[in-house]
Amino acid sequence: MSEQEKQQEKGSCGCGGCGCEQKAKAAATAGVTPAPRRGFMLKLGVGLLGIGGAITALPIVGYLIGPATKRYSNLWVELGELSIFPHGATRFATFLNPIRQPTDGDSAKTACWVRCIDATHFQVFAINCAHLGCPVRWFEQSKLFMCPCHGGVYYQDGTRAAGPPPRGLFEYVWKIEGGKLLIDAGRLPGLEEST
Amino acid sequence: MKRAVMFCSMVLCASGCDRPSASPAVQHVALAGELSTQSAFDTNCRGCHSQGAEGAALPLVNANYWKVATDATIIQAISHGQGRSMPAYLASEGGPFTAEQITSLVHGMRTLWGDGQPGGGGGISPVLTAGSASAGALVFSTACASCHAGQGTAGSVVDPMYLRMISDQGLWSAVVYGRSELGMPAWNQAMPGRPTGLSAQEVCDVVSWISSQRVSNEKVTK
Amino acid sequence: MSFLTSALLSSSKATMQWIEERTGVVAFAKPLLFHHVPRNAKWWYVFGSATLMFFTIQLVTGVCLATVYAPSAAQAWESLNYIDKEVPMGWMLRALHGWSSNAMVVMMAIHMLQVFLHASYKYPRELNWITGVFLLLTTLALAFTGQVMRWDQDAYWGLGIGAAIADRIPLVGDQVRALLLGGPIIGGETLNRFFALHVFILPGAALGLVGLHMMLIIKNGISEMPKPGAIVVPSTYREGFEERMKTEGVPFVPEAVQRDMVFCGVCLIALVALAAFYGPFGPGGMPDPTLINTNPRPDYPFMWLFGAVSLLPPASETAIMLIAPGVGVLVLIAVPFLSNSGERAPSKRPAMVLVALVTVMAIAALTWEGMTSPWSPVMDGWSALPTPAKFTHGRTPLEMQGAVVFQFAQCRNCHSLDGLGGKRGPELDDVASRLSYDQLVRQVQQGGGNMPAYGKNLDSAQTAAVVAFLATLHPSNEPDAKIPGAQLPPPPGSANAH
Repeated sequence: MSEQEKQQEKGSCGCGGCGCEQKAKAAATAGVTPAPRRGFMLKLGVGLLGIGGAITALPIVGYLIGPATKRYSNLWVELGELSIFPHGATRFATFLNPIRQPTDGDSAKTACWVRCIDATHFQVFAINCAHLGCPVRWFEQSKLFMCPCHGGVYYQDGTRAAGPPPRGLFEYVWKIEGGKLLIDAGRLPGLEEST
Repeated sequence: MKRAVMFCSMVLCASGCDRPSASPAVQHVALAGELSTQSAFDTNCRGCHSQGAEGAALPLVNANYWKVATDATIIQAISHGQGRSMPAYLASEGGPFTAEQITSLVHGMRTLWGDGQPGGGGGISPVLTAGSASAGALVFSTACASCHAGQGTAGSVVDPMYLRMISDQGLWSAVVYGRSELGMPAWNQAMPGRPTGLSAQEVCDVVSWISSQRVSNEKVTK
Repeated sequence: MSFLTSALLSSSKATMQWIEERTGVVAFAKPLLFHHVPRNAKWWYVFGSATLMFFTIQLVTGVCLATVYAPSAAQAWESLNYIDKEVPMGWMLRALHGWSSNAMVVMMAIHMLQVFLHASYKYPRELNWITGVFLLLTTLALAFTGQVMRWDQDAYWGLGIGAAIADRIPLVGDQVRALLLGGPIIGGETLNRFFALHVFILPGAALGLVGLHMMLIIKNGISEMPKPGAIVVPSTYREGFEERMKTEGVPFVPEAVQRDMVFCGVCLIALVALAAFYGPFGPGGMPDPTLINTNPRPDYPFMWLFGAVSLLPPASETAIMLIAPGVGVLVLIAVPFLSNSGERAPSKRPAMVLVALVTVMAIAALTWEGMTSPWSPVMDGWSALPTPAKFTHGRTPLEMQGAVVFQFAQCRNCHSLDGLGGKRGPELDDVASRLSYDQLVRQVQQGGGNMPAYGKNLDSAQTAAVVAFLATLHPSNEPDAKIPGAQLPPPPGSANAH
């Protein structure tokens, strides 16, 4: 077997009976030199596999990173009639998250603290401590929020009072409509709102 | 080794397939619905209203208290708070309990610590009524002053800061129930020199007089 | 009969040969089973095997649990309760899975510590160490995702902590958090993401890494017990090692494996005993984020991290939280490259022994701190812990009102009396011998030293009352605190104290 024939054998072996064989043979009879021919096949293989792989990966990657690309805003939810938030008091309120998924169960429920300063001024605080997100509790008597995890403490206006939190409590954007208090919900408040 | 294996298989048999410990589901139902009186008391009330000399405020493990106080007055105090130092426990006022839970808690405590009577006894009306300050001055000088006058041994009850802290109803409770373990008698009961203690009217009179000592007559509402 | 037996025997032998000829399984397994290991490799070497055994337990019990567990945020918690209460031996399977998970982490840590102390990671076993580091990371990831599978309040808020840390990443924090949670909130997709990690991706990775780790063990052999003076010289080590194994080594089966078997047997019995006595972990409170009367705590393997993040200075904590884990992993990976030759004996490497000792003590101390979490307020301290009797005797009416205010204003959540109460602030049993009346007033009103200012939150009467009470808190044989040289007027309301 000549060197050329060996090369040819190898080349055709690589693609089994997929029809490349004929092409390779055709190429061989057309008198193309063997080295570039094999090089071409390899390049073609790498190229096609690369393209095939990429278009297969595209939907997979898109599927996985999908959640990071969605944007949510202006998802207003009702917290209730203004009358359940007495002036000067801070009250616990809950709502169903507007961007919930069908399998969320109870985890779609969300809690927040509503401080009514007066009839037209509110503060709606995220339940999550600004340190690491644990649920803060309001103590009416000392007018403090305390966190059970690492001892973050906040004053009634949400500013940091003590402990490790780097900042005050996160706040929801609120509005009053038809005698009801609404907030723009839809995510765990985080540093995005810190402006 | 064999014995260890046998021991373990015995353990397995003993604990069986049903795990005996209370499941979280059961615990949760207890939180959301019915309350265990003792555990509700232990986490919400015990800090102040303990028993004996423990605790800063009136002990609730106290038969005299349950004899005099009616459910209505206790539910009122727990629901809406009292003075500057008793928080409101009703959910609509920011507290942890529903009205039904408070009612059941009060009934439960009465079962635990009361004498089976509904309250309103003890020879005294369970609420503060109008009193006469001038009559109260006399009661104070004879019954209270030896300990509670300005420089008395047990500390002044006319200290302006103290009077700002306590409501008239609170003064009434302090007189009627006392803190016997701490040396303050319960004045609805017999004591040396006063076989019937103080009458309902005398208590209201003395409260009225103490209250009249408030600086600028500032009243503590509620 | 005997004809039948011999026929069966010969046919089974033929079957074996038939299989062997086509698979080479015996030829493959022989060196695995009978390779020579150092004669002096005694009880020190059982921990790796125990780790592998616990991993096997995890695979088996995990697959079993997956047959009933519902990986759905709406049903996971209930399905766990169902497994605990209704499924025969369900609670035991969960207990085994939970305890075996902790045991695996512990065994892996001991194994790693032994390898570190004996410097077994030196030439030619650098990659043994590095695959081990990745196995450690995979195992910790399995432990964390496993905690999420429990889908109770600890799982929910544990994820919240993860999300809050991800949120702190500059620029892409939001995206990273969304990737982690499968959306902007912790919900259905979050659980399923972690489920995919916990039952497919991470166990797959762990299996691959275990295979690699084993392959390297076969290739490089088990290291000998370190001897002072037995220096590792990369250019001659392998030759010498192989020679010594030939002459002095013993076959893995049965010489070494018998110890592994004894130890693994004891481990298994201990595991079953722990699982049977203490039962499964959780599930804790139902995963309803509106039930906020919860004190989220991580599982044991992460308790030290929970402790560590509470001790970070606020100014640099974001940087530390984001950078430190990466640095830690890099340091672990770098270990064999910092020194892959020379002495292996701990007695000749005192600095490394010190490093190991400090690391172990730091993790133990932080775990202890995490479990006791003295920085956390006792959330119901104010309403659950009575003022001890010794602090109510002989107090004036105002001081007693102050004792009430002390409870009412939640002081007790952070300050203890007679050892009961929060440990976040100083214990106040004898505060009056440290602070004068005026200093007490200032501390209450202005706060400071990590205490909130109560100036706006207490009125003047409440402040006067609580300070009057605090001023009584000192041993009777010690005088009130005074500012040196200052002549203070007697504080109002304290004339009758003591």
